[in-house]
Amino acid sequence: MSDFYLVYKNLTRKPLRFFLTLFAIFIAFLIYGTLTSFERAFNAGVELSADDRLVSVNKINFTQPLPISYARRVQSVEGIEAVVHMNWFGGYYQDPQQQVLTFAVDEENLMNVYGDDLILSDEHHAAWHQNRQGILVGRAVADLHGWSLGDRIPLNSNIFSQDDGSTVWEFDIEGIYTGSDPQVDTNGVYIHYEYFNETQSFGGDFIGWMGIKTVDPALNEQVIKAIDEMFVNSPFETETVPEKVFNKGFIEQLMDIGLIITSVVFASFFIILVIVGFSMVLSIRERTNEIGVMKTLGFQSGRIFRMVLGESMLLAFLGGGLGLLASTMFLGFLNSLPQFPVPDIILKDDIILQAVGVMIALGLITGIIPAVNALRLNIITALSRR
Amino acid sequence: MGKLFSQIWAVIVMNIRSLPQRIWMSLAAIVAISVVVAVLLSFLAMSNGFRETLSGAGSDEIAIITRSGSKSELNSVLSRNIVNIMADSEGIARDSDGNSVYSAELYVVVDGIKKSSQTEANLPMRGISVEGFDLREKVELVEGRMFTPGRNEIMAGASIQREFSGFELGTTVRFGKTEWEVVGIFSTGGSAFEGELWTDARTLQSQFQRGNSFQTMRVRLEEPGNIDALVAKVDNDPRLYLDVQTEADFFREQGDALNGMVILGWALSIVMGLGALAGALNTMYTSVASRAQEIATLRAIGFSNSSAFFGTLAESVVLSFFGGIIGAIVSYLFMDGISTSTMGANFTQVVFRFEMSADLIGNGIILALLIGLIGGFFPAWRAARLPVVLAFNKAS
Repeated sequence: MSDFYLVYKNLTRKPLRFFLTLFAIFIAFLIYGTLTSFERAFNAGVELSADDRLVSVNKINFTQPLPISYARRVQSVEGIEAVVHMNWFGGYYQDPQQQVLTFAVDEENLMNVYGDDLILSDEHHAAWHQNRQGILVGRAVADLHGWSLGDRIPLNSNIFSQDDGSTVWEFDIEGIYTGSDPQVDTNGVYIHYEYFNETQSFGGDFIGWMGIKTVDPALNEQVIKAIDEMFVNSPFETETVPEKVFNKGFIEQLMDIGLIITSVVFASFFIILVIVGFSMVLSIRERTNEIGVMKTLGFQSGRIFRMVLGESMLLAFLGGGLGLLASTMFLGFLNSLPQFPVPDIILKDDIILQAVGVMIALGLITGIIPAVNALRLNIITALSRR
Repeated sequence: MGKLFSQIWAVIVMNIRSLPQRIWMSLAAIVAISVVVAVLLSFLAMSNGFRETLSGAGSDEIAIITRSGSKSELNSVLSRNIVNIMADSEGIARDSDGNSVYSAELYVVVDGIKKSSQTEANLPMRGISVEGFDLREKVELVEGRMFTPGRNEIMAGASIQREFSGFELGTTVRFGKTEWEVVGIFSTGGSAFEGELWTDARTLQSQFQRGNSFQTMRVRLEEPGNIDALVAKVDNDPRLYLDVQTEADFFREQGDALNGMVILGWALSIVMGLGALAGALNTMYTSVASRAQEIATLRAIGFSNSSAFFGTLAESVVLSFFGGIIGAIVSYLFMDGISTSTMGANFTQVVFRFEMSADLIGNGIILALLIGLIGGFFPAWRAARLPVVLAFNKAS
């Protein structure tokens, strides 16, 4: 009879209690796996940002415009590989609630700057390039609205209007792109800047911001300085930052999501720590007598210590493993829903590793007190206690 | 019947008075339930505070005119010409000189440094007319003075001061190339306007190269809530593509932006509640097990099994009630009034406070009692069916 068998038998001697304790641990790890993966997906924009890309915006705020001439002038800065200018179109499809992330871009340079993230066949790219009314749509947004190649779709703008007051523009879907990584957001659509600029009625020739690709990340500092100095003291000063910094700042504006998630995860672990801890103490105390018998039979104190600790460890690993499994399944289900608005949420290896660490800690913390008690237990008191 | 009640009552009292004997397991259940309630209430208080902040900003006496379909102030554009046409409309209140009371406003976004994270965040800067100041409910000047039209002077809302650094009275702030002096601090009783910077609309137009365009127009209504005349004007004039809404309606829509947080809060606390339920069941089964002999003895001397049932159920409900109360108190003490900000409909920060209310606390207690009822029911069922013969066994 191995020690493991004894541990297992002890653990399951009261099936109901075993099940309930296991369930509490299961819930905690389900929450842990799911929320931490959500947080990762939320921050994916930061993690995936390329080191060799910069974003240049109006210094007052990124919603303020810049003159179109800036893109050409920046292009000449040494150390820059490509510059693409972009405008926020404020697009929606059919219903104002159905926002479509629409960018009016310089069609020559979009792929030169973002080609590492966006996967698009050369034919699609060429077709989009040639059709002024062409639109490039991401896989996610195409699936969401059931769009396919060749469709002509109307997009409304909640900012701009045409000369006749209409806020609808029609576009031909010439290409559908996918992300180079499952976490790349493919909810964006790209239209031609020229077409947008000529048809909207608010006075044009302004751009929203510039995406810049540098020849080498080591040149970033130098390029940033060169760009911002070029426009200093003009009515439109620029602020150029690495893409990572820009994305991080943008996410932090939403709210301190990280803090909320950490608090909830912490709270749920606190609950199970209390529940599991107390029931472990209780179940060992109920067995005082038996432990006395085992010691009498010649079981070493150290061996009993290990067995009690093993019991709490086994409990933590069973519950935790099941919890992580369930959260993987749950995330898989969410990802399969087409109307789910974010890129794929994935339970990453390092989250799993961290969870294993938490399981070990949980097993240790909940097992250590009863284990020490069992270790110290005097045979005479143990046998006389009822 | 009376006998049954007195039996049940006796058992309930006995169970509750013997709680200290099972103190540790009972505490485990209480703590678990209180954490669940605290988490739920935090989420609810957050979305409640957000909604109050925005709905507090809207007045029935004011109508807001935006370009058709723009949904938010930031996206809207109105030319001077359109503003003049609308200013002549019926349905707008007039001052003693017969001029209509309105404010054509410009809404731009500037960067401010958030105190909590020391990062840049979008702040709304609103160009208003001097009359525009009085078009807000509960508006008052807390410190300093009104801006002078034509000069680079701004007034900062009280929430701006709380959440963002560098807007103290008398300081100079830079937005791009332009410099502005903070000359006044205003309050609007905690509503969303308090998270804005106000300045003279024409000055803002010239400093930010906005020509003669505005974004929204606020008018005082002749009759509160009645926008019919304005809507008719828009419908009958083919030059006008405008939306007219009372300010109250306009902000109510925006206040729903954090409703997702309510759903998330409930979903999380129900899942966590399942964990706590496991804890409560554990506690109550242990309680029944430890009292098995006692329960059987009571049965042997003539107590009914329903008294054993209700005694156990009551114990569980009392524990969960304590848990609920503790959770509510903790979240009230630590969460109520916390000031934070998030991105609102205008792509700018809305500063708001977590706001607890009796309603929300009621929700939390209900969740706690639900856990207590379910967590007590099954163990109580077992207690009621314990064989009487247990009373005569020496060992339990």
